[in-house]
Amino acid sequence: MSEAPLVSIKNLHANAGETPILKGIDLELRAGEVHAIMGPNGSGKSTLSNVLVGKPGYEVTGGEVTFQGEDLTDMDPEIRARAGVFLAFQYPVEIPGVANNYFLRTAVNAVREHRGEEELDAIDFLTLLKEKMKLVEMPEDMMSRAINEGFSGGEKKRNEILQMLLLEPSFCILDETDSGLDIDALRIVANGVNQMRSPDRTMLVITHYQRLLDYIVPDHVHVLSGGRIVKSGDKSLALELEEKGYGWIDGVEEEGASS
Amino acid sequence: MTRFLDALANARAVLPERAVDAPSPRLDARLAALRREGLAAFEERGLPTRRDERWKGTNTAKLSSLSLERVGATDRFDEAVFDDPRVAAFDADLLFVDGRLARMSARRADLPAGVQVLSLAEAATEIPDVVAKKIGTLFDAKTDAMAALNAGFFEDAAVITLDPNTRPGRVIRVLSLSTGSEDQPAASFARLLVVAGQGAEGMVLLESATVGDAPGFSSVVSEFHLADNAKIVSVELQSGSASRIHVSQLRASLERDARFSSNVLCLSEGLVRSEVETSMNAPGGLTGMNGLFLGRDAAHHDHFTTVEHAAPHCESDEEYRGVLTDSASGVFRGRVLVRPDAQKTDARQSNPNLLLSEGASIDTKPQLEIYADDVKASHGSTIGQLDEEALFFLRARGVDEATARLLLTRGFAQTFVDGIVDEATRTLVAERLDEALVSLETAPEESHP
Repeated sequence: MSEAPLVSIKNLHANAGETPILKGIDLELRAGEVHAIMGPNGSGKSTLSNVLVGKPGYEVTGGEVTFQGEDLTDMDPEIRARAGVFLAFQYPVEIPGVANNYFLRTAVNAVREHRGEEELDAIDFLTLLKEKMKLVEMPEDMMSRAINEGFSGGEKKRNEILQMLLLEPSFCILDETDSGLDIDALRIVANGVNQMRSPDRTMLVITHYQRLLDYIVPDHVHVLSGGRIVKSGDKSLALELEEKGYGWIDGVEEEGASS
Repeated sequence: MTRFLDALANARAVLPERAVDAPSPRLDARLAALRREGLAAFEERGLPTRRDERWKGTNTAKLSSLSLERVGATDRFDEAVFDDPRVAAFDADLLFVDGRLARMSARRADLPAGVQVLSLAEAATEIPDVVAKKIGTLFDAKTDAMAALNAGFFEDAAVITLDPNTRPGRVIRVLSLSTGSEDQPAASFARLLVVAGQGAEGMVLLESATVGDAPGFSSVVSEFHLADNAKIVSVELQSGSASRIHVSQLRASLERDARFSSNVLCLSEGLVRSEVETSMNAPGGLTGMNGLFLGRDAAHHDHFTTVEHAAPHCESDEEYRGVLTDSASGVFRGRVLVRPDAQKTDARQSNPNLLLSEGASIDTKPQLEIYADDVKASHGSTIGQLDEEALFFLRARGVDEATARLLLTRGFAQTFVDGIVDEATRTLVAERLDEALVSLETAPEESHP
């Protein structure tokens, strides 16, 4: 635990468009750890995940983010992805006309090339794909369909986790992956995520609901409010939040949030 | 070099009276009349201009200012055209070079009885009456200058006839190549006649292409006659060099319960005018009209379609997709004509377009003329750019931006590919499309609305 953190976020300030959202975030994520971020609506949770993966429209205005010792903020999104940063999107896009399996092989080979590994041919890729699909209980016919087209909410989220399993990132960010999922779907998604837990990687689990943390048990829980981390604790903090809401924490801006 | 119209006038002076000499007096007279009337009509009308409602989107001055050194086929074309990779890959039943039969395939022997795939000279001997009855009847030379021009100058034709209730059992392939060079720009006139008897079913693949740069003009006229309950699928691949002006005119006439599907893939780098017009003359007809055009550099694609519902209980479904980049321009005119008798018509049309650069443009206009009152008709056209969210998603999975753009553009085109039922043809279409897309410049854009 004394090694340098895998991800280090220092005094991070960022805008979404012209609006300042993140106002000084400090976080250190070490290999092997799972961190959960909770917070009321509008606290900056999604902005944080978008900033970390370099989404256009989000601008870092101060502070720094390093990943494996390198400055992340100047890298293009595809370079971050190849280096091992992965975001499971809150709202996965549908892409008509682009077959899931073709896209996945393109992505996997882009990452493998970056790591200096050989490209997978169609047959080797299929073997890998089938193995990972079992982990998220996805039927095979979903692979020849267009990306997320006609998928249910749960299928889209499982597809995100499948991508994570295939790309084997070392920094996994899950942005409200549990929102809108029923218990069965949540269990499948959480199983997939837990498969990925390893001493080499770190996870940042952003959620609105404590329920997810029964399935993906975090090492640390942080409360984000007004663009800052206002409280940190262990997994018991999540239970306390579930019970009492956010109002009791100093620095939380009350806005009648649903939780 | 000689200007287009002068070159045509010179060629006309030495033109034989008819495309081929036919032993049948009836066909002989028909071919002579086609030529005579075509030439007369063209002489009277001249080239279409922008004042012509049907040609509003295209600058025909490019045609009149074209220079030609040759009109029609040459007696000794360079046999190197046989080395063109498309010739081997395509293995056409009939290969035309500059509008004249250059090679026929031994594959024709595997066609079942009742299915004929012939050159015009062969057809003149074997089935003169069918040809005499049908050729040129779907075009009106008096009102259509381009059809008149083709009627006046064509020298040969691919003639495909399917006797009632026959099927070829495989796709019939026709390849039409145009040749020419920087100092020998040429005009060529190709022709296709398809006659399907009652209950016959078949698929015809026609590819028009240039050999090398081949500057000049090419005209292709295709006629499809479908008797009751016949079913024909037409796939047309159009490609051509930047210095080629290509005019393709397809007409189909459908009798009771006939089903016709037209699929046009246009990848030309030059100027293209592609017309598809179907007429459903009796109840129960079905027309499918699919198109995909991909224009780059200074290409201009003008797609002019007409679906005529002349009888009740007919259905049409049309989708043309346009992808334009660099300074390419596109035109889509989708005319749907529902005659007073055509009750219970169901007509759908859509024209989604993808503009990949600031300089690319599309002029799209559906044109519904409905004279019946119990009709379902829908149409829509869209103009858009690549979806930024989708682009970011792909990049966030490690796919570089250029590849991501390519994937999304390919995805936009996929519905056209999926619409081609025959697997080998679908693969061929996908290959052509991929080749064209890989060479596209999909430079990132500065701003998006």
